[in-house]
Amino acid sequence: MQKGEMYVGWSTKEDVRKRGGSGGLVTSMLAAALEKKLVDAVVVLKKINEFEAVPIITSDVNEVLNSAGSLHSVPSHFAKLIANRDLKIALPAKGCDVRGIIEQGKRNAINLDNTFIVGLNCGGSMHPAVTREMLEVMYKIKPEDVHGEEIEKGKLIFETKDGKEHAITIDELEEKGYGRRESCRYCTIKVPNNSDIACGNWGVTGDLVGKATFVEINSEKGVKLLQNAIDAGYVQVQKPDEKAVAIRVRIKGVMEDLGKKWKNKIFVPIDNRLEYFRKELEHCIDCGACKTVCPTCSCGDVSKCTEYHSRSDAYRMSMYHLVRFLHLADACIGCGQCSDVCPVDIPLTRLYRRFANPVQEQLKYEPGMDMRKPPYFEVKLNE
Amino acid sequence: MTDNVYSTICPGCNFGCGLYIRENGALEVDFRKSSPANSGKLCRFGMNLPKLFAPTKSMVDGKETTIEEAAKEAAKRIAASKGSVVFLSLGNTTSEELLAFQKIAESALYTGAVAALPEDTYQTLNIGIPYSEIEAAKHIVLFIDPYEQYPLIVRRLLSARNKGAKISAVWWKDLPLADENIRPGDVSKLALTKDSLIIADYNPLSDTEQVKNVLALAKNAGTRITFLKPFANSTGGYLMAKGIKQKSISQLVEDINKGTIKILFCLESDPSVLIPSETLSKLTYLIIQTGQTLSTKANIVIAHEPLYKKKGTLINNEGRAQALGGTGTSGLDALGIIAGAKFDFDSLHESVKKAIGITVVDEFMMPKYERLEYGALQASAKPMDAKTALVSVYNPFMWSGLADDNDFVELNLNTVKALKLLKGGSIRIKSNGSTIEKKFKVAPVQDNILLTSNKFGIEKGIITPVEVSR
Repeated sequence: MQKGEMYVGWSTKEDVRKRGGSGGLVTSMLAAALEKKLVDAVVVLKKINEFEAVPIITSDVNEVLNSAGSLHSVPSHFAKLIANRDLKIALPAKGCDVRGIIEQGKRNAINLDNTFIVGLNCGGSMHPAVTREMLEVMYKIKPEDVHGEEIEKGKLIFETKDGKEHAITIDELEEKGYGRRESCRYCTIKVPNNSDIACGNWGVTGDLVGKATFVEINSEKGVKLLQNAIDAGYVQVQKPDEKAVAIRVRIKGVMEDLGKKWKNKIFVPIDNRLEYFRKELEHCIDCGACKTVCPTCSCGDVSKCTEYHSRSDAYRMSMYHLVRFLHLADACIGCGQCSDVCPVDIPLTRLYRRFANPVQEQLKYEPGMDMRKPPYFEVKLNE
Repeated sequence: MTDNVYSTICPGCNFGCGLYIRENGALEVDFRKSSPANSGKLCRFGMNLPKLFAPTKSMVDGKETTIEEAAKEAAKRIAASKGSVVFLSLGNTTSEELLAFQKIAESALYTGAVAALPEDTYQTLNIGIPYSEIEAAKHIVLFIDPYEQYPLIVRRLLSARNKGAKISAVWWKDLPLADENIRPGDVSKLALTKDSLIIADYNPLSDTEQVKNVLALAKNAGTRITFLKPFANSTGGYLMAKGIKQKSISQLVEDINKGTIKILFCLESDPSVLIPSETLSKLTYLIIQTGQTLSTKANIVIAHEPLYKKKGTLINNEGRAQALGGTGTSGLDALGIIAGAKFDFDSLHESVKKAIGITVVDEFMMPKYERLEYGALQASAKPMDAKTALVSVYNPFMWSGLADDNDFVELNLNTVKALKLLKGGSIRIKSNGSTIEKKFKVAPVQDNILLTSNKFGIEKGIITPVEVSR
């Protein structure tokens, strides 16, 4: 087994296969990493209900085996959760999680050598409050009656406790303001090949659909993770056929193109930029949640954006926001967490991306995709 | 190793904001995005909760002890002073604890009710309108500063405005989200219809005549009215104590000053926020039972688990019942020691559910409350006669005694010019013989008004006449 190889695999444990998505491979791989002491701890989602799960760090194999798997309505982010913890850890990670973890690694808040990142294919996540409203308004079903959900062929399907399936196309939902979070719509990292091992159902074909996970090994740590799970008897794999690989490449391409279309749709040029930013930020209450949650910020209490800011300032736009715009120009990964937690619903991610899109395109730099240092760290003085 | 993560409710006010508290060596706040009141979003106070939940130790006369010993000593001193003991809770704890507390307090309970308001207004004052109804309103009238006092209402107001609502603010300063800004002295300019919805604030320091005035405005125009409240379980406090005679904070201050009250027992309530220090110093004993950082020095501190570790029910402004995610009942056990009886959580919990007419605590289900009519009110709010005044805008930091980044006053450019204040300089504020010097921030505030969300120690209630100079 080596870096660059692809497999299709599943858990050998029947209960994990039944409960987990796509054959339970990720859950079993994480449990095996813990049991065989490849890592000290694992991050899992502890399910509260269909729309709520809380991320926890655990060393308990049973917690891992009983974890929630992935839920589309739980848009959590794990980079800050594992930062400054000094643990040898394995975790499942969407593309934006992986990017946040790598950025924390560059800032010495996460030791990437001790972090085993299991990337998850991600077409996008939904805010739970929006999902609940969407169920009532669009699907005409009570959120409490929902038993499960899945995305298939462009449709978001909810299964209710009576066994019925309710499907609406994602396009229709998003036209009405529901569906995926805005940042997920224009995200183009659908298969996280920046992780140690990328897993997901895209490319699983034939009888294995719904029962197996497609795996791409991206690093030596990825090799260790999968080999460890196989050796521990937790996971079985087989080589995918050419057709399966082609399907995976095609789906990835379609999803990335869709992301680019959304990006062009959302980021139309604006006139009177200063007034635009000032108006969007005028309701800010100085809570600091956007900084706290930002997966590329590792400053802690002493940071540029807060040191230059005072609530007694009467500037039309606070120094806090101005400094963050500059900071995030080459650091923003577009994960959407800041917009999620803003108490006055400022579309912060959109504002940060207004700065980040042109800067990152011109510098040909995508934060969180590799270990390249942020370009503004590498200022060259004229000789 | 597995993280301890508690699903809980922010005690900053009665909005009912859900969050997680994560124990990771230090405490961390995590966002509970499925919470119906706030979608996981938190204000500046919510983000600072780890500071509020800094551990407190049980103490008797300055010496550290166990919670049991502290509660026993409190019980002994209370028994020896029967008739001169008062029990105070502002509603910062579970409904179950409040029910137990009443059994101890009997007729000497103070929950911060405003004096001299007719009983038929209590339901309107205490049980608010669902936030979804606010979002659907056509005309919203604010008698609060939502950004400062109840920040999580801002997104509901913006949502209403995006749907076409007009927002009028009757406030000391122009609010960015308001379409119409009216100064409190010009309230007669306010045009109300049956489609209007008034949002006001009701707290233990509220001016009775101002509350009556806003109730009368709503009554006369047939307008809906909702009050926001400052404590985690203000609504639960009212519902649990319904029908029980209570007194106001102003009466409590009077009784302590007269010397008829010797012992004050506070349950999860910091008395220094409401009662002047010179009054508190007249008590023989101050006893505080709490799970959070104290800014007041007490003779006895009965320190139990913080709110996030408690088991029990809170009821928010809307009347929504919310379960705390902890398992702790040591607060209830301590109250049992005071009462000389053991309180059973399960039976108290059943009583709580019965009191609000539900069979299960489900935060997504709104209990049904009667919207009781109240009679006509004669309000006699006096116009402000001071030339210049310092107006205290109470926010969660002030109610809990937690420090905030707010050591300044807000004033307008006319005041700056009239006093020839210097940019980056300060303003001298004089009241009742005391003078303080503070930084200032220029904002669209009413002429001759200074706004603060801080306690400077010169205040005499919400509005303090002051003299100002450079």
